Amino acid sequence: MMLELLPQFIFNGLLIGASYALVAVGLTMIFGIMNIANFAHGEFYMLGGCIAFYLIDAFGINYLLAVPLTVVIVGALGLVLERLIFRRLRGKPAVSSVLATIGLGLVVQNTALAFWGPQPRPIPTSFSRLPVQLGPIFTTEARIFAVAVTVGALVLVHLFLNRTLWGTAMRATFQQAEAAALAAIPIDRVQTMTFALGAALAALGGALLGAIFFVHPTMGGTETLKAFIVVILGGLGSIPGSMVGGLILGLAESFGTVVSSAYKDAMGFALVIFVLIYRPDGLFKRS
Amino acid sequence: MAAWAVLLVALLSAPVVLGEGYELHLLIVSAIFVMLSSGLSLIVGHAGLLSLGHAAFFGLGAYTSALLYLRLGVPMWGGLPAAALVSGGAAYLIGLLVLKVRGHRFIITTIAFAEIARLVAVNTVDLTRGQMGLAGIQAPTITVPGLGTLDFGAKTEFYYLTLAFAAICVWTVARIVRSPIGWGLAAVRENENLGESVGVSAYRHSMIAFLVGGAFAGIAGSLHAHYMNFVSPDLFLFSYTTTMLVMVVIGGRTTIAGPVIGAVVFTFLPEYLRFVHQYRLIVLGAILLITVMLCPGGFVELWERWRRRAAVPAVGAS
Repeated sequence: MMLELLPQFIFNGLLIGASYALVAVGLTMIFGIMNIANFAHGEFYMLGGCIAFYLIDAFGINYLLAVPLTVVIVGALGLVLERLIFRRLRGKPAVSSVLATIGLGLVVQNTALAFWGPQPRPIPTSFSRLPVQLGPIFTTEARIFAVAVTVGALVLVHLFLNRTLWGTAMRATFQQAEAAALAAIPIDRVQTMTFALGAALAALGGALLGAIFFVHPTMGGTETLKAFIVVILGGLGSIPGSMVGGLILGLAESFGTVVSSAYKDAMGFALVIFVLIYRPDGLFKRS
Repeated sequence: MAAWAVLLVALLSAPVVLGEGYELHLLIVSAIFVMLSSGLSLIVGHAGLLSLGHAAFFGLGAYTSALLYLRLGVPMWGGLPAAALVSGGAAYLIGLLVLKVRGHRFIITTIAFAEIARLVAVNTVDLTRGQMGLAGIQAPTITVPGLGTLDFGAKTEFYYLTLAFAAICVWTVARIVRSPIGWGLAAVRENENLGESVGVSAYRHSMIAFLVGGAFAGIAGSLHAHYMNFVSPDLFLFSYTTTMLVMVVIGGRTTIAGPVIGAVVFTFLPEYLRFVHQYRLIVLGAILLITVMLCPGGFVELWERWRRRAAVPAVGAS
C-alpha cells in the first residue's frame, strides 16, 4: 500500500521542496554576497502571496499576469530596502545585522497584518479545481503549474549565474568582493541587484504556493526558518547546495508526514542539528 | 549612593504604595523579565553570541517546575533549583554542539532548539496536555514553627520573592562581567583571534555565559509558572525571545543597568499603549531596527551621549 503512494509523496515533496529552494537561493545569495543573515527574507515570500492576491482581488487581473507583476513589485521593494537598510548593515557583526532584520521582519509582517487581518485566503486562479491524474499521481492544474514555473525559475537562475556577464560578476563578488572591485566590477550595484533578485524569487514562491494553499500575513516567519534550514543543509552561501537542500527538506517533510504528522515540522530542525554536528559545512561540501 | 538608597526604598515600599493592584502585577512580571534579560545580555551583549532560543530555556524551566509540582507534589523550593539545573543543562548540551562554531550557525541552532522544544511541549499530550497547558501550579509557602505560615500566593509576598531573585541574578551578572571572565568575554567578543592569542579560550568563556544565562531563564520560568499558576507551549514562542532581545538591545546590551531598564520599560509600555495595541509590534520592530542602526548601545548609550554633551558643550559630534 505504501509503495503505491510513493510517487504521490515524491511529487508533493518536490512541489514544496522547489518552493523552499526558491526562497533559500535568494537567502543564500544575499548571505554570500553581503554576509547578512536576512531574517526578514520570508516576508518577501509573504508579500508575494499577499500582493498577488490583492492584484487579482482588487483589479481583476488574471493570475498568469498577476504572478510576474508581483515578482517585479517585490523585486523593486527589495531594491529600495537594500539601499535604505541592508547596505548600511554590511560589515556589521552578526548580532547587529540579524537583530536589524528581525526588527524589519516584525515591521513588515505586522503592517501586512494591519491591512489584511489574520484570516488566511487562497489566491483566486482560473485553474480548474478538479483533480488531474498523471500516471499514479493525483494532483491539480495549479500544482503542476507551480512545479513547472519553480523548476523553470531555478534553471534560469542557474543559467543566469553561469552564462551571463552579470552572473559572473555576482559569482566573483561572492568569492572575493575586494578582488572583484579591483577587476572593475561595480560591487555596490551587484549587491543591489542580488538583493532584488533574491526578494523577487521569494515573492515568486509566495505567489505560486499561495494559489495552492493559503495566503496570510504570518506565513513569512515559518518560511524564513525553513529557508535557513535549507541553507544550512546545503552549506551557507552555496547556491546549488540550497537548491538540492530545498528538495531534501521538501521530501523529508513529505515522508515525515507518514511517520508522524505531529513532528513533521521538527524533521527539518532535527536534520539541521544532525548536519551541524557531522557536516558543519553542509551536506555537499568537499573537504 | 543616595540614588541607590532611593531606589531600594522605592522598590521595597512598592506594595505599600501601589497596593495589590495591576501595577504590582506588572512589577512582578518586570522582575521576571529582568532575570531573563540580564541572563540574555550576558550571552548577546557580553559574549557577543546572538541566541534566538532564550524562550526555550524559560519554557523548559517553567515546565520542569510545573511538572514536578503537579506530578510529584514537589513545591517550588525544589522545582526552582531543578528548573535552573534542567535549563542550564540544556544550555550546556547545545553549547557543546555549537559554541565551537560561533556566528550564524550558532544563531540558527538556537532557533532550531527552541522550535523542537515547543513541538515537544505541544505534542507530548500525555505529559503536558499539549496546547491546553497545565493549570493549578500553586505558589509555595514557608511554615516557621511557632511563628505561623508565609503564603507566597499573595501578590505582595510573591513580589518580594521575585525581587530577591531578580536582585541575585543582576548581582551575579555584574560580578561575572567585572571578573576576569567578563574581561575574557569582552576580549573574545571584540576580537576572537586576538583574545585566543593571549590565552583566552573563546569556547570556555562563551560556555559560561550561555550556561548562566540559560540557568537564569530556568529560574525565571519556575517563578513565572508558580506566579501565573499556569504553563502552556506559548512560553516557547519566538515572540517571547523577540521581546527579551528588544529589552536587552534597546536597554543597552553590554551594560548591567540597560537590560534591567529595558525589562521594566517594555513590560509597562505595552500596557499603557493599549490604544495602539494593533500597531504595537510595528512600533517595537521599528524601534529595534532604528536602535541597532543608529544607536547600538541603547538607552544607556543615549544617556551617556546626552551627559557628555551637557558636560562638555564645546566638543563636537563623537
